Amino acid sequence: MIELFMTVFSATFFVTVIRTATPLLLATLGGLIADLSGALNVALEGMMLVGCLTAVIVSVFAPWYVAVLAAVAAGALLGAVMAFFHLRLKADIILVGFAINIFAAGGTVFALTLATGGDKGTSINLPSKAIPALDLSFLGVIPGIGPTLVQFLSGHSILSWVAAFLVFAIWYFLYRTPWGLWLRGVGEYPAAPEAAGIPVNAIRAWSLLVSGGLAALGGAQLAMFNYVGFTRDMTAGRGFIALGAVLLGARHPVGALLAALLFGFFEALAVVLPGLFNWIPAELIRMIPFIVTVLALVLFSYRALRAHQLRTLSKL
Amino acid sequence: MSMTTEAVLGRKARWANVRRETGRALAAAFIALGVAFIIILFTSKAPLEAFNVLLTAPISRPRTIGLWIDDVAKLTITGLAFSLVFQARQFSMGVQGQVYVGGLAAAYIALSPIGTTWLGIPLGVLCAMIAGGFYGFLPGIAKAKLGANEIVSSLMLNYIAIELCNYLVRTQLVPPGSGVLTTNDFPATAVFPALVAGTRIDIGLIFAIVAVLAVWFALYRTAWGLKLRLVGHNAQFAEYSGIRSTVIMVSAMTVAGALGGLLGAMFVQGQSYGKLTILFEGGLAFEGILIAIVARSRPLAVPVVALFYGYLRQGAQLMNIRTDVPSEVIGVVTAIIILLVASSFSIPGRKFFARLLSRDATPPAVMEAGK
Amino acid sequence: MAPLLQAIDIGKTYPGGVVANNGVNLTINAGEVHAVVGENGAGKSTLMKILFGIERPDRGTLLLDGKPVSFTNPREAIDAGIGMVFQHFSLVPSFSVYENVVLGSEPRHGVRFDRQEAIEAVRALSEKFRLSVDPLPPVGQLPVGQQQRVEILKALYRDARILILDEPTAVLAPQEVEELFVAVRALVEQGRTVIFIAHKLPEVLEISDRITVMRAGKSVGEVAAREVTEKSLATLMVGREVALRVDRAANQGALACEIKALKVTGENGATLVDDLNLRVHAGEIVGLVGVEGNGQSELLEAVAGLRPIADGVAYLDGKSLAPLTILERRAAGLASIPEDRLARGLATGASVAENLIATRLDDKRYVRNGLLDLKAIKANAEKLIERFSIRVGAPGAAVGTLSGGNMQKVVVARELSEQPKLLLVNQPTRGVDLGATQFIWRSLTDARDAGAAVLLSSADLSELLALADRLVVLYRGKIVAAFVNSDDLTPETLGTYMLGIATQAPAEMQGALR
Repeated sequence: MIELFMTVFSATFFVTVIRTATPLLLATLGGLIADLSGALNVALEGMMLVGCLTAVIVSVFAPWYVAVLAAVAAGALLGAVMAFFHLRLKADIILVGFAINIFAAGGTVFALTLATGGDKGTSINLPSKAIPALDLSFLGVIPGIGPTLVQFLSGHSILSWVAAFLVFAIWYFLYRTPWGLWLRGVGEYPAAPEAAGIPVNAIRAWSLLVSGGLAALGGAQLAMFNYVGFTRDMTAGRGFIALGAVLLGARHPVGALLAALLFGFFEALAVVLPGLFNWIPAELIRMIPFIVTVLALVLFSYRALRAHQLRTLSKL
Repeated sequence: MSMTTEAVLGRKARWANVRRETGRALAAAFIALGVAFIIILFTSKAPLEAFNVLLTAPISRPRTIGLWIDDVAKLTITGLAFSLVFQARQFSMGVQGQVYVGGLAAAYIALSPIGTTWLGIPLGVLCAMIAGGFYGFLPGIAKAKLGANEIVSSLMLNYIAIELCNYLVRTQLVPPGSGVLTTNDFPATAVFPALVAGTRIDIGLIFAIVAVLAVWFALYRTAWGLKLRLVGHNAQFAEYSGIRSTVIMVSAMTVAGALGGLLGAMFVQGQSYGKLTILFEGGLAFEGILIAIVARSRPLAVPVVALFYGYLRQGAQLMNIRTDVPSEVIGVVTAIIILLVASSFSIPGRKFFARLLSRDATPPAVMEAGK
Repeated sequence: MAPLLQAIDIGKTYPGGVVANNGVNLTINAGEVHAVVGENGAGKSTLMKILFGIERPDRGTLLLDGKPVSFTNPREAIDAGIGMVFQHFSLVPSFSVYENVVLGSEPRHGVRFDRQEAIEAVRALSEKFRLSVDPLPPVGQLPVGQQQRVEILKALYRDARILILDEPTAVLAPQEVEELFVAVRALVEQGRTVIFIAHKLPEVLEISDRITVMRAGKSVGEVAAREVTEKSLATLMVGREVALRVDRAANQGALACEIKALKVTGENGATLVDDLNLRVHAGEIVGLVGVEGNGQSELLEAVAGLRPIADGVAYLDGKSLAPLTILERRAAGLASIPEDRLARGLATGASVAENLIATRLDDKRYVRNGLLDLKAIKANAEKLIERFSIRVGAPGAAVGTLSGGNMQKVVVARELSEQPKLLLVNQPTRGVDLGATQFIWRSLTDARDAGAAVLLSSADLSELLALADRLVVLYRGKIVAAFVNSDDLTPETLGTYMLGIATQAPAEMQGALR
């Protein structure tokens, strides 16, 4: 038990949590934007997966940042497909989302087979690149706290810093700019922005585009930092966990951050546990993030319900 | 207008509707196959051969026909499970998880002493259905009592079930020291007998046919089914009518779960396996979404769609084996079909054909003008 | 001088073949209040949607300041100086007043939404046009009259020269209507032009300068308000003489429903119905009068079993309803026609026959051992379709394919297929054409004459005055006045109580509360 505490409160573990939380956070932010605009984006999983593969394949031929941007573009493209079928052709958003997931699950393996010349499992034979970690070891010169700062802040993926900045940027966008007001209005009561001459469907379409881009950015982090390379179904439900994180984060960017950190924490725990306790079966450890998501969702729903009831009672 | 002519018109309208839906589904399938062909054309060294295998291989030999029909039976069950929850307007995505817990339950029965008696099959199927039903009940009750989103919870339960299956197979069901993640073959008494010797067609097909009829009967001939459909159409109205919509919702998800469990038993106890292997389901459960959508959640249409889709699926598998095109290309076809059928896309030139085919067009509905 | 806004020979046919406008002409002069009147379904709303760029006409011309214009979306209409206040408000409930007002045209500071400037602007406008609206609270918490003024502020903030008000008085109490008219006159004084859509003729004659009458998608005449009477206008509107009159109850029966000290609370804990006592007798219609949101709907829902009762009792024939489920209440003789047929009264995707038995799924005639008796269900549907002359192809047709009036007839047919002891009715004829309205009114009085106790709520005072034998006025969930209906009872009298300006003393009410 002591080892567990030692591990959990170490700087290395903190870095692991940030690493595991980053793809989740990016996808959760994507889910949040879509959710606030009134569309439940169940395709986050597929968008992440396509982001993973695009990033890996492009990185073989181009610098890492081009690969990341290509992943974002691929995710946004999927968002545009969703928008087209949902908004123009009036298909149910959930069905469209699952169609995208099915497309991504099959399509990535198909494309991988072509890219690797027959390997259906992994991209191990492709010399794909990684996203560089940001080296902040110069902070070490600060007397006293310097070394600790370096331990905690240095070595994160550049995308982790981008994700942290995006939490702020999305918050600012949603609550401090007119377009954020539009987006929230579209999600809550579309007739109002419609009557004010705001192009409701364009806003929804852009939200899905951005949602796809963010999810795919999370995919890029997954395939170019957390792991380097693509494996079939490598997102392993992270997109769906992100969907849970949107609900758990009370549909707010800061809530999304906290929820993503929570799930990241348990995923990191699943990373370190086998080294500490080899008697715990690997399958059960791999279950942890999913169990935590279900429990968190249930507890959060229960809490929301209770709060609702308490408010009702106190006014009687 | 007299009552009888109106009734005739109503029936005509219904058939026109069926014709239109069928046309749309076929058009969607053609477009999707067209896209697949273009993809194959650009990626394969022998595109024509690949496409030929995709379209003709399943009926080339009795064995492949067996594979196809076996798939159809399974696709029918998952399609029915999704149809049930979709008709109640729930989006539970838990069939995959139910298949695994159902398969586990069936495997435990089959590998126990009971498995060597005549009870092996009925008890295995029953336990699988109970386990699947329970697994379907969980997201239902969480939604009914707590408002927990059923999409997320059912998806999480899928992953949990897969890992649970992996764990139990490795630690309990596999003979010690064997090193493979597959159980011993079930005793013959616990394996579904084949209907056609030498093929995979087994009594799972009969289960599927019975399930189609049972679901159709439950939905259209029982009060429960009418309540379920009313809840699906308008839950508020159902409440106003005195229907307890949460009870209906949970029961629909439980029954769908039992179907998922049955599918699990059909996998592990069927001729195709006759044993429990990890990841035995191979993604088939989710293809029920396509079946249900194209069938418009109508139970009687489900096996028809499954027949077509199963053919395509089998063709893709054979194409994978015999040519250089991976079977995953079928994912693209599936996605396109779902997108087109679920959307308001209409067959190009449909109006023209409609005018050509029927002289008495349905009179335009008198809507509230100017509202 | 050219008219400010002119519509010439406008035509619009919706997909599905519904002809909404077919040769509409409209001429609006600057600085006037111009009313457009017509029955429900005459095409007024479609015309306004065309003026505001929501719908595009199939033919015809729009001239603004004498120049042809064509709006492809509301934004272009707004930019041209046209503002619109819909009957159903377009306000985001959780947004504050100022956020709603500036939505879509926010003052900006760089990329930042300048909240302070927005608040100032809204406050200034509110003062200038004497609308007295506080910019800060969320609109979801405001009363309907204020929400409407937020809508007007929205248009004024966008510098609307022409303000279109779509049935603005439908949701207001008579006194609130007066306040609205004050604001309308203030607008005209400041040089704005108002287009006023309505079907209540006295109001139209009071507020407008000129009137365009529409019937069946056409404009059938333009008159000056000073030169017409209500009667001649009505004839023009309907194209035939109509008298909406019903007979009063012949005799009154025994006590059927008694409500004692009833209290209902909302989900957020607010008290919606408070210490309410009411008795309804067999063979009478008791009308619930009140501005929408004063507890009428909640009272009916609590009696029907759709809402929990916080305190007090409701009896039907001496039996308490509280322990009974919705179905048991229905079995005890309760029937209910809900407020919003699409939201609560029907499953539009299900067939007419299924809708007609949806409330009877424990009835041995239609369901035995959990199995549906399809023959009986079909026979029931055919019987009711004929009895209530519902225009539908076949019992198997989906309800969604019917017109509004016929949909409402399906609801009424289901609820009146068995003679109820207590009939709860909420907005029976909202959005229903004249023919169907008459039919529904007659169905209600028939049920009454057959011995039903009827509790009726309606936003339309003329409907209440036409149908009810007694009237009780609700204000903030309490009964503040009660009347025996008579020809002397005017909407103005009721309005005083509806707004809580006056309250009858208990003794005064006694006579009418028997």
